[in-house]
Amino acid sequence: MPEWLLKDENYQPLPDRDTFIDKSILSLLRILSRIRAQSGYTGGKHSVHAVYKVACTFLLIVLLSVSRNIWFLAAVGAYLLAALSLMSADRIIRVIKAGLIISFFSFLILLPAFLMGNRYSPVMIPLKTLATVTAVGILSHTTGWHAVTGALKSFFIPDIFIFVLDITIKYIVMLGELSLDLFYSLKLRSVGKNVEKYSSLSGIAGTMFLKSKEMAEDMYSAMECRGFTGSYRVRRRFRFTPADFLYIVVHILLITIFVYLG
Amino acid sequence: MIELNDVSYSYEGIPALKRVSLRIEKGESVALMGVNGSGKSTLLKLLNGIIFPDTGEYLFGGESITQKKMQDAVFSKHFHQRVGFVFQNSDTQLFCSDVYDEIAFGPRQMGMEETEVEKRVEDCLALLSIQNFRHRQPYHLSGGEKKKVAIACVLALNPEVLVFDEPLNGLDPRTRRWFVSFLIQLHKAGKTLISSTHDLEMVQEIATRAVLFDEKHTVAADKPAQELLEDIDLLKKVNLIDEFYHKHPGAGHQHFHIHPF
Amino acid sequence: MHIPDNYLSPSTCAALGAAVAPVWALSVKKVKKEITKAKMPLLGIGASFSFLMMMFNVPLPGGTTGHAVGGTLLAILLGPFSACISVSVALLIQALFFGDGGILSFGANCFNMAFVLPFVGYFVYKFIKDRVRTEKGEFIGIAVGSYIGINAAALCAAIEFGIQPLLFKDAAGHALYSPYPLSVSIPAMLIPHLLVAGVVEAVFTVAIFAFIKKVSPGTIYEGAKEKSKAIYGLLAALILMTPLGLLATGTAWGEWGADEIQEVVSNGQALGFIPQGMQNGFSFEAMMPDYSVGGIPEIAGYILSAVAGVALLLILFKIISSLKKANHSVHE
Repeated sequence: MPEWLLKDENYQPLPDRDTFIDKSILSLLRILSRIRAQSGYTGGKHSVHAVYKVACTFLLIVLLSVSRNIWFLAAVGAYLLAALSLMSADRIIRVIKAGLIISFFSFLILLPAFLMGNRYSPVMIPLKTLATVTAVGILSHTTGWHAVTGALKSFFIPDIFIFVLDITIKYIVMLGELSLDLFYSLKLRSVGKNVEKYSSLSGIAGTMFLKSKEMAEDMYSAMECRGFTGSYRVRRRFRFTPADFLYIVVHILLITIFVYLG
Repeated sequence: MIELNDVSYSYEGIPALKRVSLRIEKGESVALMGVNGSGKSTLLKLLNGIIFPDTGEYLFGGESITQKKMQDAVFSKHFHQRVGFVFQNSDTQLFCSDVYDEIAFGPRQMGMEETEVEKRVEDCLALLSIQNFRHRQPYHLSGGEKKKVAIACVLALNPEVLVFDEPLNGLDPRTRRWFVSFLIQLHKAGKTLISSTHDLEMVQEIATRAVLFDEKHTVAADKPAQELLEDIDLLKKVNLIDEFYHKHPGAGHQHFHIHPF
Repeated sequence: MHIPDNYLSPSTCAALGAAVAPVWALSVKKVKKEITKAKMPLLGIGASFSFLMMMFNVPLPGGTTGHAVGGTLLAILLGPFSACISVSVALLIQALFFGDGGILSFGANCFNMAFVLPFVGYFVYKFIKDRVRTEKGEFIGIAVGSYIGINAAALCAAIEFGIQPLLFKDAAGHALYSPYPLSVSIPAMLIPHLLVAGVVEAVFTVAIFAFIKKVSPGTIYEGAKEKSKAIYGLLAALILMTPLGLLATGTAWGEWGADEIQEVVSNGQALGFIPQGMQNGFSFEAMMPDYSVGGIPEIAGYILSAVAGVALLLILFKIISSLKKANHSVHE
């Protein structure tokens, strides 16, 4: 045992500006907990089929984008609030929070235009943004990941693409956990002033890249062992429920309002 | 040195630790035991200041460790220097492009002269007998070698407390033996050791005290290691062992194991 | 640089979506050829790597942090075609599940970040690397490539924003989508990218590449020599086709009067928050004085300035590489 190891270190650290570690940890944690929550979403008894949800949400976003009528926006807003009200409180908060932050940001961006005398887009864009982000938020907070990718299948998106999407989400979790631990380890060992922050950060990203290549090769071998030949089939089941019917009626109504208001 | 008072922690509503109280004195070697998911890893993260108790308090050297306090960079850096953590997966602990830089990472941050840094790195390399890897890339080392590098880079900080998460996982029998004797050496050198493990044989050899977690995430027992290991009924009760597990009485060396039927 | 919904008109989104579609098709074809069909997992895992890269906070001087996109890095590591698919998938997940970037503007975001960024970055890198055949040349190529790549993407986003008030307004002349003209959107997007984001991207890309090259040199993508030519052609085609696509969506391109543009521009100046010098330095009007007054159709003006921009870049590289060569021969 070397001598220095036998006595306690007499060390007083200097401060360092390394908030990038904490911020990266936070954004990784946010992503991971979001995806974990997402995979837990299984539609209840009265849930609408993901195919309709994806299609109608897309339609709604197009209508919102095209519409110049504030009353149509109000109608959509009313519908979205109604849909939100059916969700659990914590999800409602998450959806609304995301929408408010983004639309506030877009209001700030457009403020100069407003002061310049443009009274249309600085009002409409933040409102439309709020509606759009809320609509997407409702979709993603009520529908499991696999249900969404499965729904994409119904819109003639190639299987292979859906396969890639599914793998992606799975590996975001695996690689995300790996890089999270690397950041923790960097944090625990950052006991003083790091003069080579970029090299630590690139070490983490580089390790993650090498690991991801390794994982891809392993996964390929494993799939080959199980008889994978490059084609991938997504199975889906279809059943038209009263909830689906109601959902579609509401959207037809919204289209009617859109047409009526011009 | 370490004091947990009535600490609870949960991950998004799922409890991981429930009302855990624990005291660890300087120079002790404590083994944390329990089945997978009983909260051992969570406790280690908490001890290292990665997460903070939902309720209850964690005192280190008499000072309470809270999220707010750890936002003070100087305080948290000092704390992290005093407590070293060896991760279960060494892959997640190594991010430099060569072994020397990896071990020198800590000492360099502490503002040491490069000659002093070199002495520390060389001492650590010798201590773990990995002098040959000095200029290898950590990424390409084998599992056991990576573990040694990970320990070396934590030791280079000269922490007072060393925390090991499943230190023997994935190591071959010879490397395991080496590790057990290395941990004993560290303990004799006056370091406080905290290790989580499933390995009962290791508990017997390296730990003076063992803390057993049950599946309800609470502390089921906290007593001298030898005493806990002999309480077969309790170990069965927390599902750590099954009925095939037993002890051979005999002269000299005693150990626990499972017969292959 | 993630464009949210409602800033671009649906027709702009459709046009840009139509512009990336052939790139996607080509990428899938190329990737299948390069890595064999059964190796598809690599794409998904590349996409997750790309997604996570965008989560990393990069330290900036003064203790603040910024984000890197990593598009050029992926193009260098996996090849530009794989990078295109990987970044697209990452962007889709961000749009669908994290509210980062819009659903309709997904095509536009892919155009900027999954196509322009990695391809321009890779092309510049390759161009420099093939001419300066030293390790230094390779690193310079990566730095310059990733810097130009991200700025090219920002420029595209700025142009997409900037043409909105020209194309889409109501009877009263109010912009329906993003209200800022090119004279505002280009400096607003480019100044932060030229000064900060581009530097972050370049430093981060070089550092990661250096790490991987040191640890595992075998994992880096080896592009074929002739590939840069194909990319060159593709780039040129897209520069030409994008405004054509916008035109084809049946908007009022032909109806712009000179006074109308004048009005927008003077509105832009009335904003008062752009320093005069910057505006002259960056605005299209300054680069192409005849753009609005000389009677050239605006579409031609747009293509011309795009061509001028590309030409300018080429000239820049040529000068850089010739300087390098001269240096080299002196040493020899």
